[in-house]
Amino acid sequence: MFWVLVWFAIATGIISVALYRLGRGQIPTRKLAIASMCVAVGFAAFQIEIPVFGGIHLNLTPLMGILVGPALGSLCVLTINIFSAAIGHGGWSMIGANTLVNTVEVFLGFYVYRFLRRYAKVGRFYSGFGAAATALTVSALVAVAIVSVSLIQGSTQTREQTMANMTVLAIGNIVIGLFEGVVTGYIVSFLGKMRPDLIGEPASARLEDTENRPEAAADV
Amino acid sequence: MSSKSYSKHIPDFRLVMHYAESGTSLVHRMNPWTKAVLLVFVILFVIIIQDPYLLAILLVATVAFYAAARLPLTLLLGWYSLPVFFVLMLAVLFVFSEPGRQLASFELLGTRIALTENGVLLVGTLLMRALAAVTFSLTFFMTTRYTNIAVIASKCLPKPLDNIFLLSYRFTFETSDEVADVLDAMRSRSGGLVKGVSRQTKMFAGIIGLAFVHAFERAERIAKAMEARGFTGTFPMTEKMPRMRYADYALLALVAVALAIVAYSRYFNHPIGL
Repeated sequence: MFWVLVWFAIATGIISVALYRLGRGQIPTRKLAIASMCVAVGFAAFQIEIPVFGGIHLNLTPLMGILVGPALGSLCVLTINIFSAAIGHGGWSMIGANTLVNTVEVFLGFYVYRFLRRYAKVGRFYSGFGAAATALTVSALVAVAIVSVSLIQGSTQTREQTMANMTVLAIGNIVIGLFEGVVTGYIVSFLGKMRPDLIGEPASARLEDTENRPEAAADV
Repeated sequence: MSSKSYSKHIPDFRLVMHYAESGTSLVHRMNPWTKAVLLVFVILFVIIIQDPYLLAILLVATVAFYAAARLPLTLLLGWYSLPVFFVLMLAVLFVFSEPGRQLASFELLGTRIALTENGVLLVGTLLMRALAAVTFSLTFFMTTRYTNIAVIASKCLPKPLDNIFLLSYRFTFETSDEVADVLDAMRSRSGGLVKGVSRQTKMFAGIIGLAFVHAFERAERIAKAMEARGFTGTFPMTEKMPRMRYADYALLALVAVALAIVAYSRYFNHPIGL
């Protein structure tokens, strides 16, 4: 109970900062609609089972960070966690901890992508892959830390034993995270061709992309 | 499950809403606030109770509540697969590493691994906790009309989270249908036969990317429409919530007393159990 309240309090603090950053609670209607749509798509995309490695569901939180930024992304992941708790994917008592982990993913997704793309001048695919892989690797470690600190209810294992078990699970999650990184890379490349403005690039980037493909240029 | 749904393990929101809007059972007619507070109580029970028999009683009580709402039990069993998967994924290592009496052991990569009584008990209690919360949560959403959920969300969530929650709840139906349509189109063109991790990944990435592009375009249109209609940051609530009656207060008081007893026994070291 104590740790449920602790994680909930930390998540509340993060969400409060996000609300402040977005205009002290007065979010423009456009951002409100975009956040809601992102939640809906994130939730719908989560339901798709990608038929590789026996079937994988993605959570796409780093991608949300890339698309809407850390502040709006934090509100999106909180709402997704409420939906998820409602239908049994994630518990009500885990909303605080899950929001904390997902906020790390959104935050790192946004900043790592921006760094790779803007400052390191890396291509879209590798920037998307790097951002998602980094975000999901760090968040898997954060999840290990959270469970190791708060322990599993009913378990008599020590923090060290719990951490050892959770580390094994984290390795599995990191492997899945690398796969999600590849998917994120492809999605970012796709968005770069279709709507570069969504990933923080000027709309002219779409034109440049078209000009670089001789067959597409011929179509024009 | 509706034909639009594309995962048998995840509740279909359209179906959830159908039961909520069309049901006439006693649970459907219960005051929405009473059900919302009961949901909070169930979550607190799940956190506080440690005794496996009491947890079993809680699970049976939540399933009975679900059945009283005349909701399909077969559907619930299918939807259990997701929380069961998550609990097993989390607890699989603890089954073998929890100290206690050994039930069975085997050799794996030169290391002897033992299944312990406490490990099995831990998985059992975690499963009961998860399923009790999921069952009551689903019952709440499958028996409470959207207009009532909207009022509860607007009272309980801070602004503008309530607006994001309500808008995305509405958008979920549209988006899920759109993604399902794209998946159907892909399968009808033999897209399901595509082999190779790279090609499949690229194909699904395109579907998700397209969903995001459409979502942003729709969001921009909706934002303009909302502003044109004078949206000021608050959705008007056209329907009033029914007032709670004495029976509602009595039920909540009864459950609160039970919760207080369980909490006292847990935190003041007076164990109760069967």
